[in-house]
Amino acid sequence: MDIQGLTAVVTGGASGIGAGVTRVLAKAGAKVAILDRNEALGKAMAEEVGGASFVCDVASDASVQAALTQAREALGAARILVNCAGIDTARKITSRKSGAHPIGPMKRVVDVNLTGTLICCAHASHAMLDLEPLDDDGERGVLINIASIAAFNAPNGQAVYGASKAGVVGAAVPLARDLARYGIRVMTIAPGLFDTPLAGTMDEALTAKVLRNALFPKRKGRPDEIGSLVQHICENQMLNASTIRIDAGFF
Amino acid sequence: MKLEGVAAFLTGGASGLGAASARVLAEAGAIVALLDRDMALAEPLAKELGGVAIQCDVADHESLKAAVEQATAAIGPPRIAVNFAGIDVSQKISSRSKGPHPIESMQREIDINVIGTLDGCALFSEQMMNLEPFEDGERGVLINIASGAAFNGPPGQSVYAASKRAVAGATLPLARDLAPYGIRVMTIAPGFFKTPLAEGVDDRHIDKLISMVPFPKRWGDPRELGELVKFICQNRMLNGETIQIDGAMR
Repeated sequence: MDIQGLTAVVTGGASGIGAGVTRVLAKAGAKVAILDRNEALGKAMAEEVGGASFVCDVASDASVQAALTQAREALGAARILVNCAGIDTARKITSRKSGAHPIGPMKRVVDVNLTGTLICCAHASHAMLDLEPLDDDGERGVLINIASIAAFNAPNGQAVYGASKAGVVGAAVPLARDLARYGIRVMTIAPGLFDTPLAGTMDEALTAKVLRNALFPKRKGRPDEIGSLVQHICENQMLNASTIRIDAGFF
Repeated sequence: MKLEGVAAFLTGGASGLGAASARVLAEAGAIVALLDRDMALAEPLAKELGGVAIQCDVADHESLKAAVEQATAAIGPPRIAVNFAGIDVSQKISSRSKGPHPIESMQREIDINVIGTLDGCALFSEQMMNLEPFEDGERGVLINIASGAAFNGPPGQSVYAASKRAVAGATLPLARDLAPYGIRVMTIAPGFFKTPLAEGVDDRHIDKLISMVPFPKRWGDPRELGELVKFICQNRMLNGETIQIDGAMR
């Protein structure tokens, strides 16, 4: 699809990878609706890119429905959904010092990263089903989910995060199969270490240690590099159901 | 990397996915060298794109080595190299009517698809590693072409699927070998694209194959593959990965 003039919804679009995606899509001519928990950051980003922002907790079905409805009223029917909203607790499943991983944060990570992604896919795609196709191939929209390389190879302390992101990867093919008949594509991106607030919680020594595992380039990725991949996926119609690792060869 | 003015070598660059990618790269400003067996196809395309055509059998080491030297002499060492050259014999491993798959065609398919690709990576990267680095220390990018058959091969494609899975399997160790030199290695696994290789299939079978593509329900345009090649060249964080581009055909 040609992004120019289309409406895109970016969850977690006010910071980190989501902010990079928001900026690249806006620059390519999309009207971007930012769904974020952080109202102040969301507003600032909406102002910067000439879009609109809506407060949303992706783990809440009602919140997602309300935010998507508001976004549609403000910017028109969305053709693009990018699920960037995600959190991480970075805690071992159990240890002598900290005890068993508490159920509260465990559930919250899975609710936001996995269930939240599926909720957004469900409601956003449902709103696309009856839209006019954009071209002769019948394309109506594209959903892009942000997983993580932790889905394949998570370090210790990331059992819950890794499981939640692996769930997102696992959904990729059946989501694409469910939605193919409506001309909606589904793609997944699995980023490595990117320069985001989430990665910023790691101390410098750990960051350096992690980056030693990157093949090339040995640096954190920039959020706009995810943004450019999102843009390419939107533009290249033959990409469907795949999960693309973008991680400088991180194994 | 920026494509303007850089040398791009494409094996199998005279037809199908290779030709379309050569076109996309040339339009983006790259100087292309088409390394192909078929000069009747390669020469006019190279002329049209302002590049060079060099005869080459990728399964023959001396032939490939000579072609790399000629291409380097003509347009400089490669910053981009894409291994498109490949064949598909399509024969069941054994059947009552045809007997066992003959060793000759089996060997030839492996020689071209696997050895040709690996030898290409060896010879191309040898040229790249002494080049001046670009931003981040990047010297070059190798892109290999596998196939959807590598992950989900239909009957009659055991040899083809094995050869393409081998290409996908080499991606990570190749990227590991070449990371110290700032050379990235990526693999693309295309689904059903409109190439001479696919057009050889009979119409009924083509309809059946297209019916297996969830969306978009058509065969891929080789240009779409070319656009992915170009994008991989431009986005440096992509390394060591195999990308399936197939309209969700799994």
